[in-house]
Amino acid sequence: MGKSQIACRNLWKIFGPTPERVAAEITAQRTRAEILQTTGHVLAVRDVTFEVAQGEIFVVMGLSGSGKSTLLRCLSRLVEPTHGTVLVNGEEVTGMDERQLRQLRRHKMSMVFQRFGLFSHRRVLDNIAYGLEVQGMAKAQRLARAREILELVELTGWENHYPHELSGGMQQRVGLARALAVDPEILLCDEPFSALDPLIRRDMQNELLRLQKSVRKTIVFITHDFLEAVRIGDRIAVMKDGELVQVGTPEQLVAHPINDYVREFTRDVPRVKVLTARSVMRPVHAKDLLIGHAIAIDTTLEALIPLTVDNEAGLAIVDEQDDLVGFVDRRAVMLALAERGAGS
Amino acid sequence: MSMLRSSLLRRGEPAWQRRLPVGLAALAALLLLYHLFGQSLGEFPVAWNLQLREPLDAFKKWLVGSRSMNPLFLYGFDPLSGGVEWVIRRAEEFLLWLPWPTVGSVLFWVGLRVGGVQLGLLAIGCLGFMGGVGLWDASMQTLALMVASVSIALLVGIPLGIWSAHSDRGEAALRPLLDGMQTLPAFVYLIPVVLFFGIGRVPAVIAAVIYAIPPAVRLTSLGLRQVSEEVVEAGRAFGSTPRQLLYKVEIPQALPSILAGVNQTIMMALSIVVIAALVGAGGLGTVVLKSLRQLKVGEALEGGLAIVALAILLDRLTAAVRRGDEAGRGAAAVRRGWVPEGAVKRLMFGWRALPSSVRRHGWLWGGLLWGSAVSALCWALGWVDFPKEWNLSLAGPVDAAVRWAQLHLYRIGESGFGTGPVSDFMSLYILAPLRQLFAELLPWPALVLLAAAAGAAVGGGWLGLASGSSLLLLGALGMWQGAIDTFTQVVVAVLHVSVIGIPLGIWAARSPWVDRLLRPLLDLLQTIPTFVYLVPVIMLFNLGRVPGVIASVLYALPPLIRLTRLGIRQVDETAVEAATAFGSTPHQLLTKVQLPLALPQILLGVNQAIMMVLSMVVVAGMVGAQGLGLEVVDGMQNNRMGQSVEAGLAIVVLAVLLDRLTQALARR
Ligand SMILES: Nc1ncnc2c1ncn2[C@@H]1O[C@H](COP(=O)(O)OP(=O)(O)OP(=O)(O)O)[C@@H](O)[C@H]1O
Ligand SMILES: [Mg+2]
Repeated sequence: MGKSQIACRNLWKIFGPTPERVAAEITAQRTRAEILQTTGHVLAVRDVTFEVAQGEIFVVMGLSGSGKSTLLRCLSRLVEPTHGTVLVNGEEVTGMDERQLRQLRRHKMSMVFQRFGLFSHRRVLDNIAYGLEVQGMAKAQRLARAREILELVELTGWENHYPHELSGGMQQRVGLARALAVDPEILLCDEPFSALDPLIRRDMQNELLRLQKSVRKTIVFITHDFLEAVRIGDRIAVMKDGELVQVGTPEQLVAHPINDYVREFTRDVPRVKVLTARSVMRPVHAKDLLIGHAIAIDTTLEALIPLTVDNEAGLAIVDEQDDLVGFVDRRAVMLALAERGAGS
Repeated sequence: MSMLRSSLLRRGEPAWQRRLPVGLAALAALLLLYHLFGQSLGEFPVAWNLQLREPLDAFKKWLVGSRSMNPLFLYGFDPLSGGVEWVIRRAEEFLLWLPWPTVGSVLFWVGLRVGGVQLGLLAIGCLGFMGGVGLWDASMQTLALMVASVSIALLVGIPLGIWSAHSDRGEAALRPLLDGMQTLPAFVYLIPVVLFFGIGRVPAVIAAVIYAIPPAVRLTSLGLRQVSEEVVEAGRAFGSTPRQLLYKVEIPQALPSILAGVNQTIMMALSIVVIAALVGAGGLGTVVLKSLRQLKVGEALEGGLAIVALAILLDRLTAAVRRGDEAGRGAAAVRRGWVPEGAVKRLMFGWRALPSSVRRHGWLWGGLLWGSAVSALCWALGWVDFPKEWNLSLAGPVDAAVRWAQLHLYRIGESGFGTGPVSDFMSLYILAPLRQLFAELLPWPALVLLAAAAGAAVGGGWLGLASGSSLLLLGALGMWQGAIDTFTQVVVAVLHVSVIGIPLGIWAARSPWVDRLLRPLLDLLQTIPTFVYLVPVIMLFNLGRVPGVIASVLYALPPLIRLTRLGIRQVDETAVEAATAFGSTPHQLLTKVQLPLALPQILLGVNQAIMMVLSMVVVAGMVGAQGLGLEVVDGMQNNRMGQSVEAGLAIVVLAVLLDRLTQALARR
């Protein structure tokens, strides 16, 4: 991946009347529940560090109350972090004054909301143009730009309607269009599809992927639906009680969950679609019979299974450079399906 | 009743708190016995009087005398007064300078814009009526007072509301003030204002501003606080400045609530502007007051109806603005069948194709253009004043009708029925005995103890103490008799309101057609300012205490009916279903489930009814009903400031006492 666009170092957020004092008292051993009980403060984000690369879709997931929304809002300082730094393109967001912060929000970062957050008193077109309007762009120009974006999200013809006249899915397209209209580098999405029906949700996921192909934004995307995370995420971060528990590609999480909390999330994932040869192969032994085709390392189990069914010997796996890197046999595939990763 | 008692004797309260009311009541009974069979306890001791009257009169004298030198006047009240006077004068001159068809056609235009053809015609009808009864100039004077007071109230109230929405400290500071302001009858506001601003139109406007500010503040603040957090966050996330956030997001989102505040502000200001006839504000109120005093009932009715027309006009126009968003309005017009759907679509889409600035302000420009065109035409034709020939002249027939009513309805045939006997019955057998009970039979210390007992029973020791002391304060203000008189009228009126209102509310909750029938009637009743109710009642019942009571019953009915209906409607569906499943008859359902569950709402309705009755009974002082109202009016008209202030304070004490007692009862 490209260079780092967002970097977040030792970020803390504590809600309550005297967060600074509480921050000083916190030791690694004390759990969030204990802190809540003894100090009355909510430890929403606890010592979080991660980086997001340019053009990457970085998904944050976790149970309700695990601090996802708070973390996301700390990135643009809609919620003021108690401690830690946030860097965007190497610039320190946490050190910006009001004016710089506004410029950042106007030009670099946009946001999409769970219940859409549309302005019900504005027409679709004026909703989309809002970001440009507060920038001070001239009216004709911003409406023209809004029309372009409207076309991009396939809502042409709806510009003069009010949000309540649109279906949920269409409303979120408006939300997405509003965020894209200012042509930001970064898109922050807080459970944008959670309020939608499963079918519409799928449509919208595809829509996002389709848009991403053409616009190439850096996206931080929150969800509590692991299937959604797997579908759209390049990498996934799992949060629990304000902490990042594990960060990795969907496959890494499914194949090597760090603890039961993460494993619980991965349970419903169709493993055949997520796991690839990479996580089921074993090193090549001298006695392996290297006959037949070599298989690419990113082949999913779904594609791999038919190949191993009639193959007693097993398959050779090669990486992107066509070098031999591993070997897969029927037993390894079956064990992986039975939720015991290769090698375990 | 048993339910009430059981709730009064809740477990978990300390024993002394449960016994306190009983003890106090027992003490009161002992005093009564002593009073009856031993020595008379006499009147409230004169020695305890606070003696406010002379110092206040002296203060006023000094104030008036030092007016030309006092910096408070020179740099405070006088410039303020001058500014307000300037606004009123300009507004009045402008309204009277406009030819009458201009006012009509512009208001028609506004009505058309905000609510459709129906509303436009209603506006014309209302204005036509005002002109038709020969009160065009008086109406424009009142309208000018309204323009001045409402614009000042909004200029102050809306920013205060914004402040209180954004600052918790601001809200905490304003809330008790607003709560207090809403407890007091309109009338009371005139007293201190007159002290500093003399009589005339300025004090009327200032009192109206003060009285009408609370809803503007409250509903602005409420509306802004209710804007969805996510929407505000979206505004911030796109880099809005606080100002952009306020003007582009928060205020537009809160607009329905803010406009509801504007509507209430207008209606409250109207009620004061009308009562302010008492301090020489002029306009329609003065027409009514003068005619009532001279017992020219026909003219009073004309004035009263003109006020009602103005009230309806202002209320419906602002209420329509509140409801109307562009899409909703188009849809409503089509649904009503005013306009064929195709035409609307074409019009609306054509309309939307215009640049939005023209679209947004097009109505405004169109209205101005239209108004100027009409004006020019009228000046050319010399149609400026409302034509005298177009006279509805209600006064003559009404006076004849009143004479007829007095002759024939006063006592219908030999039957012994009629308004006279009703009035007599009420004053002889209800008002008088009750008044006698409070004023003569019960010695004053027993009343103080009973009030304390009531307070302690519904709200604990502190409320008991406060209630008892309030009564002592009434005595110390020298208003014991007046307060008892007013209180008696309130009790009688509230009993009537409850006996009529609660069953009607229940009926409306259970029968859709009763509901549909009552609703427009209640809407109308709630639009009419206090003072106007007195006119028809006096037509039928003459002067005295009774018309005040009857008018206040009419005035206070709507909120009780509404809240009773609402309370019963709001009873949880599942509770009703469960009761039905256990085989309750409709009657059992009502008495065992719905009424008990709706009781808090009903009590809230009674609370409101009490406050409204109180304000009306006080206003009735203007037409001669006894009690605190008369004391205020009398003081004002005879330049005895001290007396007015004492009576005004007594009204405040009584209002706060009754409000706190019934609210505590409703909370239990
Ligand atoms: N403004 C606030 N004041 C106090 N506590 C807050 C505030 N906002 C969030 N919290 C607390 O911080 C914790 C994390 O909240 P957050 O909204 O970030 O969780 P989340 O992971 O987004 O949950 P969900 O999936 O329900 O949206 C919760 O315990 C919440 O109660
Ligand atoms: Mg959240």
